[in-house]
Amino acid sequence: MRAVAVGQAELKLFWRNRTALFNSLLLPALLVPALMAADGDGVPLIVGLTGFVLLMAVYYNLVTTFVARREELVLKRLRVGELTDPEILLGASLPSVAVALVQMVLFTVIVGVITGVAVPSRPWFLLVGVAGGVVVFVLLAAASSAFTRTVEMAQVTSLPVLVACVLGSGVMIPLSVMPDGVASVLRLLPLTPVLDLMRAGWADGPVLRPLIVLAVWIGLGTYAVRRWFRWDPRR
Amino acid sequence: MTAIEVRGLTRRYSGGFEAVRGVSFDVERGEMFALLGTNGAGKTSTVEVVEGLSRPAAGTVSVLGHDPFRERALVRPRVGVMLQEGGFPPDLTVTEATKMWAGTLTSPRPVDEALSLVDLTHRASVRVKQLSGGERRRLDLALALLGRPEVLFLDEPTTGLDPESRRNTWELIRALLREGVTVLLTTHYLEEAQALADRLAIMHRGRIVAQGTVSEVVDAYPARISFVPPAGVPLPVVVTEEASGRVTVRTNDLQQTLHELLSWAHVNSVELSGLDARSASLEEAFLAIAEEAA
Repeated sequence: MRAVAVGQAELKLFWRNRTALFNSLLLPALLVPALMAADGDGVPLIVGLTGFVLLMAVYYNLVTTFVARREELVLKRLRVGELTDPEILLGASLPSVAVALVQMVLFTVIVGVITGVAVPSRPWFLLVGVAGGVVVFVLLAAASSAFTRTVEMAQVTSLPVLVACVLGSGVMIPLSVMPDGVASVLRLLPLTPVLDLMRAGWADGPVLRPLIVLAVWIGLGTYAVRRWFRWDPRR
Repeated sequence: MTAIEVRGLTRRYSGGFEAVRGVSFDVERGEMFALLGTNGAGKTSTVEVVEGLSRPAAGTVSVLGHDPFRERALVRPRVGVMLQEGGFPPDLTVTEATKMWAGTLTSPRPVDEALSLVDLTHRASVRVKQLSGGERRRLDLALALLGRPEVLFLDEPTTGLDPESRRNTWELIRALLREGVTVLLTTHYLEEAQALADRLAIMHRGRIVAQGTVSEVVDAYPARISFVPPAGVPLPVVVTEEASGRVTVRTNDLQQTLHELLSWAHVNSVELSGLDARSASLEEAFLAIAEEAA
C-alpha cells in the first residue's frame, strides 16, 4: 500500500518530536489517578483511558500533524505525486493511529489484569466503538486543521472538541448524574457513542443509538474534510 | 506529437482575482517550453493548473491526452513536478525524504541514483532543515525525477543555486531532453530560457504577450549598434540614444544598417571605436514587452 511510505516517514517524525511524544504517550498515563478518583472500577477506567487516547494521541496529535505538514508544504508536494487525497490523509494518520491502538491494548490489558476485569461478552461492540472512534477523530482532526493557522494555534482550535468531550462524554463525570435532558444532548457528542459502545462490550446496554450517532459523525466529518480541508498554507 | 495542450486557460482565485486570462499554448513531445514573465504575471498559477493541482475557471488542459485534474490517476505516474517551493518535513534526512517519495511511486529509480543525478549523495544523511536553499532545490529536482517522468514540470528550478550548481542542473536538464523528456519550465532567468528552451511564451498580467522560438520572439525587436562617434562629422544613421560618449542606433535590419555605417566609415576614413553590434537579446525583448504592456 502506497500510503504506508508516508506513514513510515511520519512515524520517524513522531519519534523525533518531543511534544508529540509527551502528549500522546505520557499524558494519558498521567491521567490515571484523576480517572481512578472518578471511578476506580476496571471497566470505567479502561473506557476513560481509551477516550483520552482518542482525544490526545489521535485527535490533538493529528491536528498539529496536518497543520505542520500543510505549512511545511509537504501536503502540497504530496498532492503533485501519485497518491490520491484520501491516501495522503491516511498515510499521515497511520502512525498516530497505530500508537493509539497500541496504547489502548496496553491499558486494557494492564488495567484488566490488575483490577480483574472479565473478558468482554460482546467484544465486537468494543471493536466497532474503537474503530469508529478512530475514524471520527481522524476526520475531526483534519477538519479542525483547516481552521488552524499554525501548530501553536492548535492548542486553541482543538479546545472546543477536547473540552466538550472530556467534560461531556462521561469520562470525568458520569452522564448518569446529569439531568436527563442534558444527558441526551451530551450523548450526541462524538466521543460519547464510542464510550457507550465500549461499555456495551462488557454489559448489556443500548447500542443502536450510539451506532447511529457515530455514523452521523463519520458522515459529518467526511463532509467537513471534503468541504474545508486545506492542502495549501493559509497566506 | 503534443504532450501538453492548453486552450483558453483562465484561473480565478476565491477573492475573484483573475491570475490567468485565456492562455493557450502547446508543448510538443521532447521539447522544452519556457514560460517567462515578471513577478505576478501568472506563470505559477498557469503551471499549477497544468499540473492538475487545481481546476481551471475556464478553458481546457490536456497532459499526455488526459485532463490532469479529473484524470489525475492516469497522468501522475507519467509526470514529475518540481514546485516553486518544495515541501519536505524538516526532520527527515535527504535519504528518508527520497525513500518516502519513492514508496509512493509506481516505478521509481533507485534512491542513490536520483540523489547522484543532482549531486546530493554526500548530503544523504543530513536532515532537510540543515540543507542550503540550493541543496533543497536539488532535492526537489531529485524527487521530480524519481518516477522517470515523460513530462517534467520545473517551476523556477535554479533559484538560489550557485553558478556551478546551475550549470550542472542545466546539463542534467539537457541530458533529460536528449532522452526525450518533455519539459515545461518557468523561470526568472532569461539566459536559462535562452540556453535551454526550444520555444517560449512571455506572460504579462495573466496573458501571453509573445510566443515562439527564441529567435522568433527576439526578431520582433530591433538590433542595436553602438560606438563612440568620430568628432565633428554628421553620422549617416539615426541615433536613438546617446550616453557617456557612446551613441546607440537601433535597427530592424542589422545587416543593412551595419553595411551603410561601415561603408560610410571606410569612405570617410573615420574610426568607430568600441564598435558593438548585436541582435536584440531575450532580455531586451522581455523588457520591451513588459514596458509596452504596462
